[in-house]
Amino acid sequence: MLVTWRYRKRRSLIQSFDPRAWIVFYLCFMGVVISFWDVRVLAVFFVVALTVVFSSGIGWREMRRAWLFIGGFILYFSLFTFLTGRGGVEFYTEEHVIRNLQAPFSIFGWQPIVHVTVERAFYALSMLVRVFSLASMTILIPYSFNPAQYGVTFRGLGLPDKIAYAMDLTMRFVPTYARDFQVTMDAQRARGYEIEKLRGGLFAQVRKLAPLIVPVTIQAIAGSEDIIDAMDLRAFGVRPRTWLEELHYRPRDRALMIAGAAMLVVSLALAYLGFGSFWVPEALRSLPLL
Amino acid sequence: MDRKLVNVALTLIVVFLSFVLLVWVGGSVLNIERLQTGERPLLRFVFVVIGLVAAFAVYWLTRDNKVWEVGTREVVYMAIGAALYAVFSYLFNGTVFVVPSVSQVALRPAICIPMFFGFAFGPVVGFFTGAVGNMVGDALTGFGLYPQWSVGNGLIGLIAGMAMLFPDKKKSMNNVLIVSAVLAGLATVIYLLNRTIPNTLFFNPVEGIFGDQPMTAFAGLSAVVGFILVLVVRFAFAKNVDFGAAVTWGMLGNLIGLGFAAISDIWINGYPPAVAIVGEFLPAAGPNLIFAAILVPILVAAYASLQRQTGR
Repeated sequence: MLVTWRYRKRRSLIQSFDPRAWIVFYLCFMGVVISFWDVRVLAVFFVVALTVVFSSGIGWREMRRAWLFIGGFILYFSLFTFLTGRGGVEFYTEEHVIRNLQAPFSIFGWQPIVHVTVERAFYALSMLVRVFSLASMTILIPYSFNPAQYGVTFRGLGLPDKIAYAMDLTMRFVPTYARDFQVTMDAQRARGYEIEKLRGGLFAQVRKLAPLIVPVTIQAIAGSEDIIDAMDLRAFGVRPRTWLEELHYRPRDRALMIAGAAMLVVSLALAYLGFGSFWVPEALRSLPLL
Repeated sequence: MDRKLVNVALTLIVVFLSFVLLVWVGGSVLNIERLQTGERPLLRFVFVVIGLVAAFAVYWLTRDNKVWEVGTREVVYMAIGAALYAVFSYLFNGTVFVVPSVSQVALRPAICIPMFFGFAFGPVVGFFTGAVGNMVGDALTGFGLYPQWSVGNGLIGLIAGMAMLFPDKKKSMNNVLIVSAVLAGLATVIYLLNRTIPNTLFFNPVEGIFGDQPMTAFAGLSAVVGFILVLVVRFAFAKNVDFGAAVTWGMLGNLIGLGFAAISDIWINGYPPAVAIVGEFLPAAGPNLIFAAILVPILVAAYASLQRQTGR
């Protein structure tokens, strides 16, 4: 049995556009955001993302689990980026110290210390704003993209019929297999299997993952025969496909796509010219070097 | 080596060398900043194009072969593979289930999916499974999109599926083993010459260590360990050619696909070549080889059993 995403029709900004136009805008938005590291520039796109989220008409209760998971994940990694300076070395060669936090204890002669520097703080902030903007726009898609229009949308974006239909099925299968995985794991747990307590060496641990991966995979392949038969009976792939739903661009959809494309071109041009690269306030550069 | 394999290898080498030449001439000789190393968003897309061109070149050289035909069955398998890879990536990326890490070798079991789907259903299914599955998985996790890594994952499935291009599976396996031995050996030599480089993919939640620890010897040698395991599978199941072929072609796909993605970070992220190979490629590709050797044969055996039951 197929499980579906939690889509329903809402009066919202995101759903007022043709899904093809929104996908084009979304991809352009992704390209724009990853072009910059300047937190001031990224803040603008963060506001755009928040505007879309708040106007989406999707309640907190509906998206709570997704937000808590992704939000926690982003905050967790931003914190580690801040504490370790991981990744920032690509952007700065020297660090200006705000404060050195030294632990009042030592472990085998080693006293833990955290260097709070301007560069690490701004890099972590840029990372937080950047990833949050991307995640905010991504998280909305399954809630606002009508499953009945997956295929026709990808076809309308220029993909061949078969690839468009494969994309359609992929989007539909994801929640189903997530459910199947959960069911399989519950069944294995009932038999005493505990993924949290895999014991043995590396090879034994890898082998012990098979009871989760193999049943879900093989069940999916076995279940596909019904889908294949149903598609063959409807002569799938024999001629160019027709779709039950039709999509038509309106002026506002074209305007959205043009705005997205223009935003991307301008951003790439600015990034090419060196605008929007990693930034820290000039005033803080007077702090002592690490 | 037979002619087809030579053609495929030559195409990949020519595409890669063309790019290296472009970057070297443009970046170092002509001093065009956009072609120099560092955080270069534009180069992400350049590498996506290069990966796709490489995949297309493989198709073009062997386009008469039936393995490139896409029918109803392939469309459905593409979708199943991509959805499974996305779900497993999401679950096992250390976010929902923290699968234990041994000697800085993080466990990412999902990689067996593009390898298996490529081998069982062909290169088109394998490429779609790896590329789209990785994209959807990253989107679900909230990582954002890293298109060159998605193409690298697609190449894993594509190359695993290239086993179907060779009627003599045993002969092709031996050639693949030689190529893989060279690649794994080369990466290991680079590790031995740069043993202090941190494992940039390693994260230990207990100690809060993320990428700032030198590679352990096991992580550094994991490509060789994985290669030996694949070799064991190849010869221990000598009578069942499918087991050996699945793991050897999966291994080659893993080495080339992840090698492509890691090497692209030399230009995209400005990593020195040794960091890209030792800090990124080895910790990702080495453990994946261990998965190829253990999980892929189990999937192949289970699928063979299913085929016997259903008669399809």
